[in-house]
Amino acid sequence: MKILIIEDETKTGNYLKQGLTEAGFVADIARDGMDGAHLALTEAYDLVVLDVMLPGMDGWRVLQEIRRAGRDLPVLFLTARDHVDDRVKGLELGADDYLVKPFAFSELLARVRTLLRRGKTTEADVLRAADLELDLRRRRVTRSGKRIDLTAKEFALLELLLRRQGEVLPRSLIASQVWDMNFDSDTNVIEVAVRRLRSKVDDEFEPKLIKTVRGMGYVLETQESP
Amino acid sequence: MMWRKSITLRLTLLFVATSATVLVALGTVIGQAVEAHFEEQDLAEINSKLEIARHTIAKVRAPAEMDAIPQHLGDALIGHHGLSVAVLASGNRTIFATPGADFLKELIATRSKEAGEERSRPLVWESGERAYRGITMSVPFGTGAESPFTVAVALDISHHREFMISFRKTLWIFVAFAILLTGFLGWFAARRGLAPVRNIAQVAKGISATRLGDRLPHESVPAELADLAASFNDMLGRLEDSFRRLSDFSSDLAHELRTPVSNLMTQTHVALSRPRSAEEYREILYSNIEEYDRLARMIADMLFLAKADNDLIVPHRENIDLATEVDELIGFYEALADEQGVRVSRIGIGSISGDRLMIRRAISNLLSNAIRHTPRGGAIKVEVRDLGNDGVRIAVENPGQAIPPEHLRRLFDRFYRVDACRQRIGEGAGLGLAITKSIVEAHGGAISVSAERDTVRFEISMGMTG
Repeated sequence: MKILIIEDETKTGNYLKQGLTEAGFVADIARDGMDGAHLALTEAYDLVVLDVMLPGMDGWRVLQEIRRAGRDLPVLFLTARDHVDDRVKGLELGADDYLVKPFAFSELLARVRTLLRRGKTTEADVLRAADLELDLRRRRVTRSGKRIDLTAKEFALLELLLRRQGEVLPRSLIASQVWDMNFDSDTNVIEVAVRRLRSKVDDEFEPKLIKTVRGMGYVLETQESP
Repeated sequence: MMWRKSITLRLTLLFVATSATVLVALGTVIGQAVEAHFEEQDLAEINSKLEIARHTIAKVRAPAEMDAIPQHLGDALIGHHGLSVAVLASGNRTIFATPGADFLKELIATRSKEAGEERSRPLVWESGERAYRGITMSVPFGTGAESPFTVAVALDISHHREFMISFRKTLWIFVAFAILLTGFLGWFAARRGLAPVRNIAQVAKGISATRLGDRLPHESVPAELADLAASFNDMLGRLEDSFRRLSDFSSDLAHELRTPVSNLMTQTHVALSRPRSAEEYREILYSNIEEYDRLARMIADMLFLAKADNDLIVPHRENIDLATEVDELIGFYEALADEQGVRVSRIGIGSISGDRLMIRRAISNLLSNAIRHTPRGGAIKVEVRDLGNDGVRIAVENPGQAIPPEHLRRLFDRFYRVDACRQRIGEGAGLGLAITKSIVEAHGGAISVSAERDTVRFEISMGMTG
């Protein structure tokens, strides 16, 4: 998967590139709008991460250029100004998602993966990880063949973790996807919810599947992280 | 450049216009009065002479006595300077004429052609360089047999004329001076009268961010400006208040930011002071990320509040079923509440037009606040109530330690914590309630808090009509 980062701030650009590369993507970086628009239109990318404030040609223009050329590759824009107008403008111009700086890298990664996955979801009826099974149709969860009773929200949380195995999911994303809470709720609600889920799904079994990545979020993975 | 209207100039012009109107009218009246007076005097003189002429002529009973007329008239009229008298018999025969009274004959000739009144109206005419006022009259004889004589009496009024001309000149010069003088006095009065306004300007000039405490002296301001001064002082009060809150806020902000930044710095410095294992470095980075998180959230919250302060938060209105919202929020907090041994329940229904995300956030903050402060085993009640025209009331009530009234008032202040020592473990930066308040106010609602014995109750009222 190839990602183009258009970002003039050197440090941010470099870290985005490093982070995305380490997460398994091929990432290119453009330092201004002109280069960015040129690269986006000539090379084959799967996604563009676009800063709005760029020297010369700003992010909006780049976005317009891309859309005018009839390219519908997903665009995630970054803005430092949390103005509703900005968001509306970006989405109207055809951006797919946005993040307000400062943001957590795990949040960006999660959004990037969501955008890349869009339209390609395999409608499996059963999600699996090791000996854990989640049956979407019968709304049933088993581990090692043993039935586990979950509340509706616990079920939704486990489904999310399973669907996005191996990805670190930030708390804000979990709050948004499972509870539809699209704002920073500064409580440890998610922590408690995950702990409870873990006590049902992981406590009596091996290997442990749901892991806490400190300061970033939670991940469900089958093998030990290096 | 636009010409700015000056009140002083305006008042001065008004003074000038008023005094000019009055003085010109007065001047005209005086001039006419003096002239009328002269005319009256002239006519009295002329009439008395006419009377003499009439008597003299009336005494004539026989034609023989006619010769005595000039003699009588001469005696009666002698020594009257500037007076001309002519007596003519029919056929323009001069019976009597004072010296230089020839011109009267011509006058009589023109007059006699007109309709024969006995006595003409007073006439004014010019002859040569001199001006005269006179009257012609037909005087019958005592016998009544012969055709009457015509008598003309005229008075030289040239000196009156000259006097009037110089009088009028003086009068108008005085009027002009008076107008100029009142103009100047008007200007002076206006300036003096407007002095309080300049004083206000002077005080206003002295007011700066550091001296917002200054006020206009209320007592020394004239009654007309009292309102202005009062509004001005009110405005200063409001400015001072917002300014104080803003600077309090900035210093709070600086203080709140200082703690995490100082943690980060110390930690990093210590970490770098000697080589460490990868595990230790990772530990430090984890700890850092928690601080960064807190900073980022604080910045986002501060931005939200800053926008709310500047009325930049425009709720996207949609119809919201509050019961559903509250239930979903309770669902969200369920696990946490459960962990803390706290029950949360909702009663009542209601709906409101508002921004769903913001309303959620507002109620969420109240709930999280309530959960945090409810002792184990306590029950939190959320009550939604439709008050008809009075909108909707959402009340969140939780048992907990009584909050002293002095704290109660300040609960919605930014960064305010009841317990100053209690630090931020598992707690927000102290912006939650401030944000809730901003959201409620952006929706045109109001929020209040009350505490009774061991119950704390927050109440949001929104959607009032009218």
